[in-house]
Amino acid sequence: MRLIPICFIFALVLTLNAEELPDWSGVWGRVEGNGGMFDLATTKPKDGLAGEEGVRQYPPLTDLWEKKYLASLELAAKGRLPDPISRCGTPAGFPRLLALPDVFEFVVRPEQTWVITENGPNILRIYTDGRSHPAPQDRWLTYTGDSVGNWNGEVLEFSTVNMVGGGKTILDRSGLFLSSEAKVKTRMYLIADGLLKAELEINDPLALTAPWHVVRHFTRLPQGAKAYDYACAENNRNPVTGAGQTLTLDTAGQIIDKVVDQ
Amino acid sequence: MTKVIGTLFFLMIITCNVMAHHSSAMFDKSSVIEKKVTVIEFQWANPHVWIEISILTNSRTVDLWSIEGRGPNSLFREGWRPHSLQPGDVITIRFNPMRDGSNAGGFIGAKFEDGRILGQWPETT
Repeated sequence: MRLIPICFIFALVLTLNAEELPDWSGVWGRVEGNGGMFDLATTKPKDGLAGEEGVRQYPPLTDLWEKKYLASLELAAKGRLPDPISRCGTPAGFPRLLALPDVFEFVVRPEQTWVITENGPNILRIYTDGRSHPAPQDRWLTYTGDSVGNWNGEVLEFSTVNMVGGGKTILDRSGLFLSSEAKVKTRMYLIADGLLKAELEINDPLALTAPWHVVRHFTRLPQGAKAYDYACAENNRNPVTGAGQTLTLDTAGQIIDKVVDQ
Repeated sequence: MTKVIGTLFFLMIITCNVMAHHSSAMFDKSSVIEKKVTVIEFQWANPHVWIEISILTNSRTVDLWSIEGRGPNSLFREGWRPHSLQPGDVITIRFNPMRDGSNAGGFIGAKFEDGRILGQWPETT
């Protein structure tokens, strides 16, 4: 009997004609964030580069998580922030993936939308087939978490939970990170031909005192643009020491740096 | 109008992307070295391209330097190609040196003897 309503939901989803969905085809680039900061609206100074001394953003952090962020900022200013993606082993995760450089692809299907980042790569799978988030006993933390949602007209609305947090992922190279209790509600829609907007409402009962609203935009690159492989380990000449220092290797794999902080 | 906006955004994206895979804290971005050099090797690979160069020192010896660029994917979209630099090319190169004085740096721009430019180059009057 339980199968009947599930089948009903799937039948409804399948009646969504692919032609009725918005055209998000092509290759897209981020509009904001060439300084690498996640939330440009609260970044100070405005044109600051992530990781440089004095450059930070101002989400509504609790006192404890503000201290954690200050500790990250100090490490970043010293060039010792251990950014997990610098090790070429794990994805950037959500929501950081929306702020990555290089290009994006948004593959829209009635039952699912994929956000594919060239840099990483990362794949955010957003299920729109009527399913809910998994039951608690079926969940574990992953880099991109679990995303489910629906189409409200031409607006994709989805929620994301179960993201790795606590510094195993960060939001940008200023070192901001959230807890694994964070939940993100996202709305994505075209605001002009070739201009896609993503509105995020981030809630985190451990790290934030209030919902944190972040907006990001993507612009469609000229026709013919394409995405390529990004094999981070292909020729990674910048290993990171245990102390968080990014080293530089020569062509033979020998350390060039005169000072090595292990 | 939207095409104009799209083009502007595209130009913004292709000209301003910062390094992505790792911190660039090791480079002194307040300092620029400009040298006439010979290309030894051009590594077109992820996550960053590398330009291996030789620099003739004042004492007539040759120093080998490694200059790191951005990723090949974004550079390709800016017009670079896998053979944009060839061993033996003589170029004038600009880069941010390492803070600790070691023989490496972060690429800014290169100018060939025929005037071609890769990356950023100061406007001449």
